Amino acid sequence: MGKQYEIPVGAQHISLLEPLHFKFTTVNEKIKSTDANVFYVHRGIELACCSKFKFRQVSFVVGRVCGLCSISHSTAYSQVAEKLLKIEIPARAKYLRMLVIELDRIHSHLLCLSHVAENSGFEALFMKTMQYREFSMELLEAVCGNRVQYDFAIVGGVSRDLKPEIGQLILKRLKNFMPQLEELVDIYQNNWTLSLKNKGIGVLTKENAMRLNVVGPFARAAGLAIDVRNETEDLLPWKEVGFEMITDTAGDVHARNMLRLREIYVSIRIIENIINGLPESALITETKAFPDGEATVRLEAPRGELFYYAKGNKTQILERLKIKAPTFSNVAAMAETFSGNEYGSVPAIIASYDPCLSCTAR
Amino acid sequence: MKKIETTIEKLKSDIADFYKPDQHHFMVMNAVDMGEKMEVQWFFSDYVYPCETTCFFAIINPAEEIPSIKEVVASAWVAEAELVDLMNIKIENTEKGFVLEPDFESGPLRKKK
Repeated sequence: MGKQYEIPVGAQHISLLEPLHFKFTTVNEKIKSTDANVFYVHRGIELACCSKFKFRQVSFVVGRVCGLCSISHSTAYSQVAEKLLKIEIPARAKYLRMLVIELDRIHSHLLCLSHVAENSGFEALFMKTMQYREFSMELLEAVCGNRVQYDFAIVGGVSRDLKPEIGQLILKRLKNFMPQLEELVDIYQNNWTLSLKNKGIGVLTKENAMRLNVVGPFARAAGLAIDVRNETEDLLPWKEVGFEMITDTAGDVHARNMLRLREIYVSIRIIENIINGLPESALITETKAFPDGEATVRLEAPRGELFYYAKGNKTQILERLKIKAPTFSNVAAMAETFSGNEYGSVPAIIASYDPCLSCTAR
Repeated sequence: MKKIETTIEKLKSDIADFYKPDQHHFMVMNAVDMGEKMEVQWFFSDYVYPCETTCFFAIINPAEEIPSIKEVVASAWVAEAELVDLMNIKIENTEKGFVLEPDFESGPLRKKK
């Protein structure tokens, strides 16, 4: 029996990108158990959405829940509001929402990969990945007008159209990105130094993923095939634009890296299909109705299942809005998955979870 | 969304009868303040296509303690801890202070009287 230590990490720590706190109980260097506190940034957004803002303004408010997956929040809210208003949005708006969601997924996955590289001690790969990611930020700005917090999805449709020249620019930049993506796949797959830090580290089994209701790439890398794009098409036609489920079985940091890279290929295919087959229609469905009744929506954000519940009472102000972010579902598994690993592996494991506490605490 | 009404007494057995970890995915808990009463909700989805969302709900008196489903759904403690702080309800074996600091206003999502 070695010596037992309690090691606090966070809320401010060099290896943490988010304000979260872990308290590790270790025996010598091996982690025995973990306490997690992930709620340092509660901002009262749900309360504000049900008291301060009218239901049409809420799509702009929830877009500020997260800087990385802003489009997922504004789309999910718009969808739940449209259910309460009982309106169908134009086809073009559906496809444009999917286009921005997939562009967003590319930049988010590359951001996560870069942080895993950085936390694994591979600074040059961090910089290379961030450099290659830049094209996706520029394309998001070209489509939405902003690099982050796009305000693109609004209740009834979308706020901007896609100009044909922007569509062609996206196709050209994606084509240019392909050799860079191949290079990243080669490095993350085969680099020996990175494999020492990532292979067999932070393993989540499929059984634990199911037992702890894990979502997103964290679950899929463990072999649990959960992806909202595969489960529901009542609001966005994912399978029509080429969605393909990606899973892995190893469940370690390396598997999560490779899964995210493979998902970028799927996102690229979806974006190309959308641009090549974008239907002509209006961008928004107008209505003078007020939200009534209750509804739920699920949407696959870059980190996994995003869930919105809304209840309306035929007024401008919603009765209740509930937001469940993907990281919220993963908190229980995040705390458990550290056990049995060396304390030195913690930074890479945390980055591979791709946690977003801004979303989680709201 | 399929809504199934339950009661505090039947909650654990109803969810235990329904929930199969390889078929269902627990999403989150929610509560809607109705004034004197509160509607507490437990949301589940399926892994299969087309997926259906199932909501168990119970109308409760906010002062009474509701049972925890942690024994049935291992990850439910996070959702339970959040509701205890944000809605100021009592859940079996769940303490305040996970989401909000102990000196924060209790139940910020409750309706103001």
